[in-house]
Amino acid sequence: MSIVLVGSTSGSVTLQEPAVAGTTVLTLPAVSGTVITTGSSGGVSQAMLATGVAGTGPAFLAYQTTVQSVANATVVKINFDTEVFDTNNNFDTSNGRFTPTVAGYYQINLTISLQMVGNSLGMLFKNGAHYLGAVTTGIAGISNSLGTQSCVVSMNGSTDYLEGYVYQGTGGAVNSNNDSKFMQFSGSLIRSA
Amino acid sequence: MLYDKIKTIYPQLTIADFAPATGTIMLQNDSDGKGDYIAKWEHPTFPRPTDEELA
Repeated sequence: MSIVLVGSTSGSVTLQEPAVAGTTVLTLPAVSGTVITTGSSGGVSQAMLATGVAGTGPAFLAYQTTVQSVANATVVKINFDTEVFDTNNNFDTSNGRFTPTVAGYYQINLTISLQMVGNSLGMLFKNGAHYLGAVTTGIAGISNSLGTQSCVVSMNGSTDYLEGYVYQGTGGAVNSNNDSKFMQFSGSLIRSA
Repeated sequence: MLYDKIKTIYPQLTIADFAPATGTIMLQNDSDGKGDYIAKWEHPTFPRPTDEELA
């Protein structure tokens, strides 16, 4: 049996029982609001998620496959030319730029490795300006520097963007360690705005 | 390289002058095909080189 609620002007809402045996109880919340159904065009927003429920905000992981020359004493933007995943198409491999279209707080990780003895500096840029820097440490006996920097960044979901840069001062140009394990840029939404 | 050109003009400069955050000069390359450029020049005594000097 169905229950039909006829609208005061036009249209109607039909409550239809499931076509299975047994008793099902539907309890409406004791508050005013809109009931979300599978047919809702907007779906469940981030703001409606309960504490402890993971959202579906943007997440990306990119790395470098083509070796890159890093000039001496120059802050050089890193080319991240390959994606492992990019759930919301917010990372652009043509310019190594992450521009999330969902506002909120993002966990960002930048791993840098250069083929050099000694230390270099990995740098996260936000909107073209230096945001965070961390030393990539040289490893004794190995001609590589390696380091990861991580932070939480507030992004406005429209114009804010992030890029990875690197600096070294060996006296000459050095090459990157183009590899998914050594040159990696990743991030994900951890809290909505 | 831009660094080498600047060092030719001002041999007294050291690598510390170009260090990010602590140096007074920052050279940058945005990997967009436009090459190295001077992103910051705040050296207390040496004036910023002209385009003609760097050409």
